Amino acid sequence: MRGRATVSVGQELPELARVVTREDVKAYADVSGDQNPLHQDDAFARSAGFPGVIAHGMFTMGHMAAAIVAWAGEADAVLATSAQFRAPVFIGETIVAGGRVRSIEDRPAIAVLETWVAVERNGRTEWPVKKGEARVRLA
Amino acid sequence: MNPAAEGTTYPAVSFVVEPSRVAAFRSLFGISEGVPPTFVTAAEFAAFPQIVADRHLDLDFSRVVHGSQTYAFRRALHEGEELAVRARIEAIRIRGGNGFVTIAMDLEDADGVIVCTARSQMIERAVGA
Repeated sequence: MRGRATVSVGQELPELARVVTREDVKAYADVSGDQNPLHQDDAFARSAGFPGVIAHGMFTMGHMAAAIVAWAGEADAVLATSAQFRAPVFIGETIVAGGRVRSIEDRPAIAVLETWVAVERNGRTEWPVKKGEARVRLA
Repeated sequence: MNPAAEGTTYPAVSFVVEPSRVAAFRSLFGISEGVPPTFVTAAEFAAFPQIVADRHLDLDFSRVVHGSQTYAFRRALHEGEELAVRARIEAIRIRGGNGFVTIAMDLEDADGVIVCTARSQMIERAVGA
């Protein structure tokens, strides 16, 4: 678990980037149980108004959680996490999870984080996750 | 979607935190140990079928997008444990033809302790939107 002494307000989490592949999204559908065709069937996704299949919002949040867990030191230290989904993620795109320490509580020691996931698209930054938050227990 | 379905509660559904499934989830996200916080989504999907099948609620899942998600833990899930997943329709709002539903689920352990509460806001898009 991350020690209280190593944490300060404004501190940034190391960014975590990954390319989203069709295989990742299929693997996520199988492990989560979310078999919505929007995430597997291009024709279905086009009928829903997208250019092709999109990643599950929860896949993107899972990636954000991985960045939080890496910073926290262990999964069990994550007391809460939330996300607002603002933009779809398409196959082949690179998603980048980040965050910073917004505040620190004492007794018990908890870091309150703001977190996000960004993607660069057509020269602009879009936000698959905006206004994410997390609470992480500190040692 | 039917706003009068706000407050609906559903019977508990059993969910076992299968170690092999947790391992597959960890591997997908590059997490080395423990139960990742968003693994709870697998428990939520165990309880979703009864919500999708609820004719009183009348949620058209083919028009649904995920608006937001929250998890709050009393403790992390334990690999191998069996949990009871209790779902309820916490809020329904209709705005501009779009329906906004908040589905809350409590994951209760064998001692009756709620170890995690998950909240999903789903948006049922207007027909033709």
